[in-house]
Amino acid sequence: MSSTSNINKRKGVKLEVRDPMSFTNKFIVLILSIFTGLFISFVILILSGVSGSALWKEFVVYIITSEKNLSSVLIQASPFVVAGLAAAVAFRARFWNIGIEGQMIFGTIAATYIAINDVGPEPTRLLLMFIAAGFGGVFWILLPAFLKIKLDVNEIISTLLMNYIAFNFLLHLLYGSWRDPSTGFPNSEQYDVSEILPLLGWQSLNFSSVIAVFLVIIIFWLFMSSRFGFVLNVLHASSNMARYMGIRVSLVILIVTIVSGFLSGICGFLVSSGIESRMTQSFFIGFGFSGILISFLARDNPIGILVVSLLFATLVIGGQSLQVFYQIPFAMVQLMQAIIVMCVAASEFFIRYRLIFSL
Amino acid sequence: MDFLIFWLSNVPGFATPFALGVLGMIICERSGVLNLGAEGFVLVGAMSGAGVLISVGDLPLFALVIAGLSGSLFGLLFGFLVTILRVNQVIAGLIMVFLAQGLTSLLSRNMDWVNKPFEGLSKLNTGIFSEIPIIGPIIFQQDLLVYCTLLFYLVAFYFIYRTSIGLRLRAVGENPEAVDAAGGDVILLRLLAVIIGTFFLGLAGGYFTVVVSKIWVDGISGGRGWIIIALVIFARWQLSRALLGAVIFGCIEALIPRLAAIGFQLPQYFVLMMPYAITLLVMVWSNLNPKNITAAPSSLGRPFLREERN
Repeated sequence: MSSTSNINKRKGVKLEVRDPMSFTNKFIVLILSIFTGLFISFVILILSGVSGSALWKEFVVYIITSEKNLSSVLIQASPFVVAGLAAAVAFRARFWNIGIEGQMIFGTIAATYIAINDVGPEPTRLLLMFIAAGFGGVFWILLPAFLKIKLDVNEIISTLLMNYIAFNFLLHLLYGSWRDPSTGFPNSEQYDVSEILPLLGWQSLNFSSVIAVFLVIIIFWLFMSSRFGFVLNVLHASSNMARYMGIRVSLVILIVTIVSGFLSGICGFLVSSGIESRMTQSFFIGFGFSGILISFLARDNPIGILVVSLLFATLVIGGQSLQVFYQIPFAMVQLMQAIIVMCVAASEFFIRYRLIFSL
Repeated sequence: MDFLIFWLSNVPGFATPFALGVLGMIICERSGVLNLGAEGFVLVGAMSGAGVLISVGDLPLFALVIAGLSGSLFGLLFGFLVTILRVNQVIAGLIMVFLAQGLTSLLSRNMDWVNKPFEGLSKLNTGIFSEIPIIGPIIFQQDLLVYCTLLFYLVAFYFIYRTSIGLRLRAVGENPEAVDAAGGDVILLRLLAVIIGTFFLGLAGGYFTVVVSKIWVDGISGGRGWIIIALVIFARWQLSRALLGAVIFGCIEALIPRLAAIGFQLPQYFVLMMPYAITLLVMVWSNLNPKNITAAPSSLGRPFLREERN
């Protein structure tokens, strides 16, 4: 670093690049910045009229002490985990999949098609819905993936635009031929028992948690021990390096987007079949955004995604009580997630640099 | 003929927010700061504009200025994250969108601004000019901001291409190291570009509520911030093409509600899909020309890391 840096002199503060931090120290900084984000969020909540003790009760005490709330957190966490994985898989290949919500919609449309038309014998219904959901998601990511590979169309914008198209298509179905015939409400008819993920026997915990953990293991293996994981690491480091090594980058991007789209579709299936028992017009809201933030916080690590999803699910369940008892809009949960991620993103500065104050 | 006049007279109103937004994006991105937070800044501007009209009083022009300034205020946070703390610009942009969605929803609910209609900005009274056949309705029956936008473009054009500040702005997006070596302050230049750029994005948001919808509901911008980003790529980061793109898009948006009138029947939700589908087509079409891919400022999205150079 040059000592005659005029920018830094003027501010009386100098920046120095740190030696790479140890894993433990990085972890401590991560935890500290998450708590900073929680602290800022709680200050906003207190300013909105919720007392500090109420926050402590809603976000910690009631969740740990009540089996019912704990199981709600676990159920809420499953689609978060899968959304996080969907984001992480794509990000490993530097493909920014912002279209998770659109892919969830098409996944759920495909699964709901199976459900309302009673396709296949009852025992295989859930499996069919699972597969259909995955391919529905794949269907909705193929166009952005193809445009990225062939024409280098920015995938952030294309996947996002696809969300709006999917959403309007969903409304077209729900206000049209798929409207619930028994109630007339704009959501699909309720799934039959054979189309709802079975309970596991403890509280309302259901099979979605098993699916989520299973997918974490698969993706963990894919990243850590498979040959493909190595290819992804190279591609993540530098696409030029990958090309020089003879890796077919566009093929890898295609595979990665297919996996990501499949996971997003499954995420939609977990919400509709595991939580809401039907396709509603808002089931997907917030999952795409949370998936991206979860994967960012977890540094694309599947195990980390599991942990962060539990944190986010706790925020959602706590936020739902705040909504009911204190009239705090549910958007607060989204705000809290964004604030936490902002603090973590900002903390990377302090991992990389040391500030030196000179008088 | 009546159809044509009616259609064209609606174009400026649809094109103006896009023109303002793209102008802001170009100022920001010409300095090398990739701004994916456009949707967020638009939302913040839209809510602030509505908030002023509901809580302060019927002052549409003041509301628009506040919309722009609140965009800038939010932009200051974004600028701090990406220039000083060097946060990944893609992540920072997305965080701004999420933050804005949560913040506007929370604040507007707490302040009771949701679903409250207001007067807003009406068309400018140009007296006798508006009576002129054909060009009267198209050119002289518009609101003040339409004309201001043209003025903004002229001023911006002069600044970016004809002054030394503009030269520095462009240089810092192409080669920040050279600007640094020449004694320019890269961080400060980029911060300024972000603040000015987000002012116009906030103003575009204000236009959506103060002039167009005259009401605030959550997520009122409905993805138009993303369309603005797509238009920047179409415009190849050039002001003249930006204005062209905004006008073309305004023509399309103004045509969509009129489609039924010329006997073009589509289910409602397919009509609502069209702006997004068309934007996607525009992006495909711009990328068919290889010139566009290389048109981006060379250091776009790359933080300036002086301390890490040897």
